[in-house]
Amino acid sequence: MFASISLALGAIFNLMGSGHYIHWGFVQISVANLLVIVLMVVTFFAAILIPFRHKSGGKS
Amino acid sequence: MSKNRRFNPDRDVNPWKGAYRPYDIAKEVTVCFIVVALLVIVLSALFGSPDVKSVTLKSWSNADRVDFATTAIAELDGTSGTATYGAPYNNVAGSGQKVGPVSLVNLMGVHIPVNPSADFVINPLTTVTGQPALSKALATFKAASPAQQAKWEKAYEDAVAKAKVVNNTLVVPAGPYGPVGVLIGELTSMATSGALDTSIINSSGFYSTDYTKSLLFVADSGYLANKGAAEHLSGDQWGMMNGTANYPGQPWLWLYTLWYQVPPFSTSWSANADALVWAFMMVLTALLFFVPLIPGLRSIPRWSRIYRLIWRDYYKGRV
Repeated sequence: MFASISLALGAIFNLMGSGHYIHWGFVQISVANLLVIVLMVVTFFAAILIPFRHKSGGKS
Repeated sequence: MSKNRRFNPDRDVNPWKGAYRPYDIAKEVTVCFIVVALLVIVLSALFGSPDVKSVTLKSWSNADRVDFATTAIAELDGTSGTATYGAPYNNVAGSGQKVGPVSLVNLMGVHIPVNPSADFVINPLTTVTGQPALSKALATFKAASPAQQAKWEKAYEDAVAKAKVVNNTLVVPAGPYGPVGVLIGELTSMATSGALDTSIINSSGFYSTDYTKSLLFVADSGYLANKGAAEHLSGDQWGMMNGTANYPGQPWLWLYTLWYQVPPFSTSWSANADALVWAFMMVLTALLFFVPLIPGLRSIPRWSRIYRLIWRDYYKGRV
């Protein structure tokens, strides 16, 4: 049962197969790694730029 | 410590005189845990995980018998990668990468002893019973002088370069290789049946989970090197940060693997690249570790003023 569930779920996006790579001069990076790095950078800037939720008041 | 020390904005802070507000860190930890757990479950369901089958002596020898026999004879005659590696596996003069005059691996010495000829070839064959031809070949080989053994091994190396696989059987052209043909032929049969995996792993004890020796044997093959290169895992392919197939790997290792791609690590220092890259990364790590103590470097956060961007509401209108 677990095998059939994991097969059904794991097959939604099949990432097995030959990897895709980007070559730029001596730099070589997989598309998957590049995507992760881009997501990390986007998260970093989002954390800086998205304003804090304001609560009224504060204790001194 | 002197109380009259001059105020240093990188080291000292003024007492906070502004407002305080309550903050529930337990709530933050709980929310973070739930969000990350949900992400893990959803991403696992969507993408699964890499499922590359492990390479064993059995799978390797069945996939490429000629490469297995070629590697096996190199193990027997002491020319394989493992046999010539040096510490921590064996004593080989001139081996061991150095940082300047210091070879850290040789300072540690041989503490995982591996003798490929005995551990990968002779000892596993000795466990086979009921094969008179093999027993005779083993006895002949062991009784021969080192010079005679070397002649047989060289002759087999030449012959196996022209070997073929016919009907799933290794066929090596005839040659003056004495008992070595029987030894490597039987070792190949052991490997294809899976008996060699068991024999080498069990050599460390009945309940052993020590795969060091079988992994070293497989690592000497051209088969594993080709599989690794096909998955972009070789050192010159930034392999340290790559995963298999289309899965992300370890992008945070980009800086470590970068040095392998650039001179002088990739050129004049390449023979000692592993040790030198490690040493260089240790220097960079020490710099990062001691940032709060390094004048100039520790002022970058203050100069860059990113903190004023993060806390822009507080600094609005302030100098």
